[in-house]
Amino acid sequence: MKLRSLFTLATLTIASATYAQETTEAPLQISGSVDTYFKYDFAKAPNIKTSFVTDQNSVSLGMVDLALKKTTGKASFVGELSFGPRGQGQSIPNGSLASTAGGDVSASSFHIQNLYVNYAFTDKFTMTAGYMGTFIGYEVISPVANFNYSTSYLFSYGPFQNAGVKGTYAFSDKVSLMLGLFNEWNSYSASRGVSSVGGQLMVSPVKGWTAYINGLHGLDAYGNYSTIVDLTTSYQVTEKVKIGLNAADLSAGSDNFGYTGVALYPQYAFSPAVALGVRAEYMNFKGVAGGDDASVLSGTLSANIKAGGLTFIPEVRFDNDKDFSQSFLKSDGITPTKSASQFSLAAVYAF
Amino acid sequence: MAFLYLYIMKTLTLAILLFFSAVGFAQDKPLSNDDRGKLIYYEVVTVKDAHKDSLSARAATFLKKSSKSLKLKSRESDSVFQAEGKLIVNKTAMVLSRPSGEVLYNFYVEIRDGKYRFWLTDFNFIPYQRDRYGNFVPSTTVGVPLETKPGKLNAAEWAGYLKATTSAVNVFAGRFKAAMMNKAVALPVIKAEPVNPAKKW
Repeated sequence: MKLRSLFTLATLTIASATYAQETTEAPLQISGSVDTYFKYDFAKAPNIKTSFVTDQNSVSLGMVDLALKKTTGKASFVGELSFGPRGQGQSIPNGSLASTAGGDVSASSFHIQNLYVNYAFTDKFTMTAGYMGTFIGYEVISPVANFNYSTSYLFSYGPFQNAGVKGTYAFSDKVSLMLGLFNEWNSYSASRGVSSVGGQLMVSPVKGWTAYINGLHGLDAYGNYSTIVDLTTSYQVTEKVKIGLNAADLSAGSDNFGYTGVALYPQYAFSPAVALGVRAEYMNFKGVAGGDDASVLSGTLSANIKAGGLTFIPEVRFDNDKDFSQSFLKSDGITPTKSASQFSLAAVYAF
Repeated sequence: MAFLYLYIMKTLTLAILLFFSAVGFAQDKPLSNDDRGKLIYYEVVTVKDAHKDSLSARAATFLKKSSKSLKLKSRESDSVFQAEGKLIVNKTAMVLSRPSGEVLYNFYVEIRDGKYRFWLTDFNFIPYQRDRYGNFVPSTTVGVPLETKPGKLNAAEWAGYLKATTSAVNVFAGRFKAAMMNKAVALPVIKAEPVNPAKKW
């Protein structure tokens, strides 16, 4: 009896060792993040209205983000879903449900961050179709890919995602060109047909320096046919110093909403685990129908302290709104003021 | 009879133990420190009766076949090769895996008649982060030397990178030595047997 058991064990062992030869293709990738934050606005009410980090004097939720990726030969897909305020009502597309439900984010569904298929026809040419993070701008919805936890005006007023089909041709490691046809901004399906055409030229003149020159013309999130031109670039100067820059202009004619802005992102890494960074931003909202322009200055100081997959982001932010376009109020809740400031502490776990 | 039974049992138990030992204790050769304090994998290999030209040709073929992950930087008089390489460090759990970073390194080969030596050094780690499209991409272009002391916060993570690098380097060294022995690393091929369901059974 014992002899039979030993034979069975040996057979099973050999079988399990040889089974490995069947799993030679790339495994399914599962990754994601979870984030939470505390914010305190020094006017004791939320003043700064850029995306996310909305709640005053509250330990609040960001989102749970789950991404799947699978590559088989030349084909691959990415599916990424997010749940929670940052990934639901606060990052559209059906955030309007939350506004009609009195701000109840649970009224809006989960949010598809990415859902696309990709096929690499050659080493140089790939085509992608589906719903993708936008190619415009420096910052993104997921807190994992941003240095600062709060977001810029350029991010908040620009596109978040684009559904469409695009082709990318890499001339070399240093130059590539993407062209695509898209729905309107931030929409799973087109309300007025495939309305937008966009492109991105990537150049990397020297090691560590990458620049993206982006353009998108079509229906935007404000109901206008607009053109946005965007420069997003970053340069890893040394192991410790990195500088990023984002500049963009949105034009939809003098009678419609538009803006011009620039944001600079210098960062210094004291060690692989600790870094300090500033975001300095200037945003000019174009006057509509003969109205005056209004501008905002914003300065944000953030630290990134990493421990394994966890990143703590303590942050202070000061905004100056000289034209009172942002409706900042003093702590009495009535008196308008030009300045707003806040402190936040976020914890972001990426896996 | 009982003696025979005991003998078979002992032999089988020993065979199974040996099998598990071979699988479980096939430990990687650890990386050493060179005179600059840099981590290094260094090995001198003797190949009896192999001429220098033959070994050089094998090294050149290996570098050419590995051109996706290994870029030749210099080649002196057919006996000294220098290349820059990249290996991906993956976080793996069960059947799931995702890249957590890449390690850049320099690879050197020196060849003489009947022997050669090779070493991998200047390991620099570049962590990956997920980009806006859900892909893992380098978060920086300047790597951190793998011998850097990571501090308390990232000690466990760093130890994991070092272990994964050591393992990948050992696999690389095995592949290179097999190529220099002119032994192709043959993957097991399972031939599909023709099946005819119409056949009587």
